[in-house]
Amino acid sequence: MKEQELSPQSQQCLQELMRVWFEFERQLGRVPLLQRLDRGQFSKADYCQLLLNWRQQVIEGSRWISRCASSFDRDYSDVRSTIIGHAREEHRDYEMLDCDFVAAGGNLADIQSAPRNIGTEALHGFLMYRASQPNPVDLVGAMWIIEGLGQKMADNWATQIDKATGGDGSYTRFMRYHGANDDAHMQKLYKLLNRLCESPTQLAAIVRTARVTARLYCLQMEEVDNDY
Amino acid sequence: MSVYITSSGNYLPGPPITNDEMEPLLGMVHGKPSRLRRRILQSNGIQTRHYAIDADHNTTISNAAMAAKAAEHCLSSSFLGKRQIKMLSAATSQGDIVLPGFGSMLQAELALSDVELHSSHGICSSSLMALKAAFTNLKAGEQSNALVVASELTSRLFKASRYEAAGSKLDFNAEFLRWMLSDGAGALLLETQPRGKCFRIDWIRSFSHADAYPVCMSVGYPAGDSQHKSWQDYPSYGEAEAAGALLIRQDVRLLENIVKLGVDGYLRLISEGRVQPENIDHVLCHYSSHYFKSKIFDMMQRAGVGIAEHKWYTNLYSRGNTGCASIFIMLDEFRTSQPHQPGDTILCMVPESGRFNNAYMQLTVVEA
Repeated sequence: MKEQELSPQSQQCLQELMRVWFEFERQLGRVPLLQRLDRGQFSKADYCQLLLNWRQQVIEGSRWISRCASSFDRDYSDVRSTIIGHAREEHRDYEMLDCDFVAAGGNLADIQSAPRNIGTEALHGFLMYRASQPNPVDLVGAMWIIEGLGQKMADNWATQIDKATGGDGSYTRFMRYHGANDDAHMQKLYKLLNRLCESPTQLAAIVRTARVTARLYCLQMEEVDNDY
Repeated sequence: MSVYITSSGNYLPGPPITNDEMEPLLGMVHGKPSRLRRRILQSNGIQTRHYAIDADHNTTISNAAMAAKAAEHCLSSSFLGKRQIKMLSAATSQGDIVLPGFGSMLQAELALSDVELHSSHGICSSSLMALKAAFTNLKAGEQSNALVVASELTSRLFKASRYEAAGSKLDFNAEFLRWMLSDGAGALLLETQPRGKCFRIDWIRSFSHADAYPVCMSVGYPAGDSQHKSWQDYPSYGEAEAAGALLIRQDVRLLENIVKLGVDGYLRLISEGRVQPENIDHVLCHYSSHYFKSKIFDMMQRAGVGIAEHKWYTNLYSRGNTGCASIFIMLDEFRTSQPHQPGDTILCMVPESGRFNNAYMQLTVVEA
């Protein structure tokens, strides 16, 4: 399925989602940790800290996606199948992330026992709440942001991280995996958009959820630097 | 009050220089032919361009003098004489001297008296910033006309000797623009009354994202510098040059951002109701390279707000990328050589990679 095959309603939605995405990239550009990465002033310890904070969201990710699937009623059983498949594909991704953490010099027990940071709390709370609503079509907006990050940013970040920390790719496998595979996920997303964005109300809800997800995702990134 | 572009002009120094003539003119760095030249030229698609330096690296005409020639060309086909010009608004990335402002030097070169003066300093979008200053000045009723001139003389930075002075510090980012940029000037005359077939300026709008992105195109930082030590922070200018801090650089890794930011601004203007894609008859986009044209075009198509390819006009391939002057040179050539009818809408776009400022303008063709 190509973007060009989108219905007029979802084409309109795609325009709005693109703008939310561009704004999200700019928000990320203002996050101190990512600014340091851009300047090459980024250590292995920074990277471990990033993974430690990221893991919680990756784990919670497959949970809200599964919850989201279960909240769709029988009129949306096709959507449910797609989402269940996706959750199944990703629900153990965090194990790869753990391996990267250890390969970068981190202690497995540390990442396994780390709590969610403030941003992750907010992001997860919001997504679980939305996923618990009946027929949560708006969550395609959240997927747009989170899958988009994998597809558009992860590979670039992995390259920058390896460059700044003198890595050979052996501890950026999780990011690179997402950079390589999320393209196919985006194609699934366009299909979902056509299916779920059928009215102006749904369009507004999808865009709003994308916006909130982007803001909370950034908060999660901002909080990587903070210890509580 | 409406503001109209009632005349335009351009000046391109010397003969057109083909791709094969470039390196003999700019010189081989350390006596070796460039390994990147062919690749970069293939991707930007430029066939000919102009330089204000000769093969002996003498400057054949100054930046201010080029700007003055474009301005005179513009006035020569207008209803106004020099003595009637009320405002001069000038743009460049680098004047001939560091100070005073480029506008002052141009005013003297042009021999304009008693004008209100504005200098706009920046990279590609500085011309539209200069144009906006003049446009708003006229709209506010402060003046009844303004001459807006944009000029670039970047070739002085591309002489082989400049790179040699930086020793072995010729990295890809420092060489990239050598095969992209060239010299030229463009001028527009703004009036509060229409004359003949002319362009009404509907609006000019820009969105700058310097707070969210690192520096992408610059002169003044050495290669790979993370401390942001400026050329002025060295004990002597000689040491700054030796460190490569005076080379013009493009952080190619960041360059791709230009595409999405350019499209982002376009989508904003659509949602504000300023742009109706279906009503646009001509698109003049200052993309620096053919490579970016297809990317911008594709992304606009993907968002469902594409503009048919036959409506796009550019003279990049024959006139070169002259930085801030490009959009004026393009508009001048469009005005004098391309068919357009009263009522036609022209969208101009200038996505700038300096630190990501995207400027847009809409014109409507009117007949007085």
